[in-house]
Amino acid sequence: MKNRLKIERAIKNMTQARLAEAVQVSRQTINAIELGKYNPSTVLSLKIARVFGKNVNDIFFLEETD
Amino acid sequence: MKTNYLFPHTWKKPGWALFILGILFGFYYLFVQSEPPFFNVRLFALVDGSFLKPYSFFTLVKTNALDEIITVLLLVGGILIAFSKEKKEDEFISKIRLESLVWATYVNYAILLIAVLFFFDLAFLWVLIFNMFTLLFFFIIRFNWLLYKSKKGLRHEEQA
Repeated sequence: MKNRLKIERAIKNMTQARLAEAVQVSRQTINAIELGKYNPSTVLSLKIARVFGKNVNDIFFLEETD
Repeated sequence: MKTNYLFPHTWKKPGWALFILGILFGFYYLFVQSEPPFFNVRLFALVDGSFLKPYSFFTLVKTNALDEIITVLLLVGGILIAFSKEKKEDEFISKIRLESLVWATYVNYAILLIAVLFFFDLAFLWVLIFNMFTLLFFFIIRFNWLLYKSKKGLRHEEQA
C-alpha cells in the first residue's frame, strides 16, 4: 500500500507530532506509515483521513503487489 | 484494542528495579559461589526429592533461599519490563511487540535445540537454568532495539 501522507501533511503544514497527537498514536507510527514500513489499521486510516478532511482513498492507495 | 493483557506503563520502572537486583544477586551467586547463611530458611515444599532421597510431598525443606529469591526477582522483573505498556502503546508498537516475541521464541528454542545436542550432564542443567530466563531476555532486547531504531529514524526524519 502506498500513501501520500507526507504530502497531505505538507499541504496542511502539520508536523508528524501534531498528526500523531490528533489521531492518538506515537510519532513513530506516523513516521513508519510515511516510510511505507507499516500499514495502518482501517480505524487509524479513517482517523487520519478525517484529520485531512478527505476520503481514505485519497490518501492511501493499493499497489500492484497488494 | 481493548484486551491486550499488558500492565500499566508505570509498572515498567519497578520491573527494572527488581530485574537489576536479580542480576546483581545472580552474578554474586554465580561467581562468588557462596550461599550466605542469612538466607538459610525452612520453606514449604509441594514436592521435594532427588536421586539420593525419596520424593516427599507437602513437606518442609531446609534450604538456602538465595536462588529462589534471584529467580523470583528475574522472572517478575522481566515480565514487568517486557509486558508493561509503552508510554503510547498503539497498533504499530503492538506489531513490533508481537514480531519481537516471535523472534525471541525462535532464537530461544534454536539455542535450546543446539544445547540439547551439544551439552550434557551438569552442563545441560545449567542450560536449563539459564533457559528459564532467556526467552524474556531475548524479547526485551529485541523489542527495545526495534523501538530504538524506530525512534532514531524519527529524529532523522525531522531534520530532513
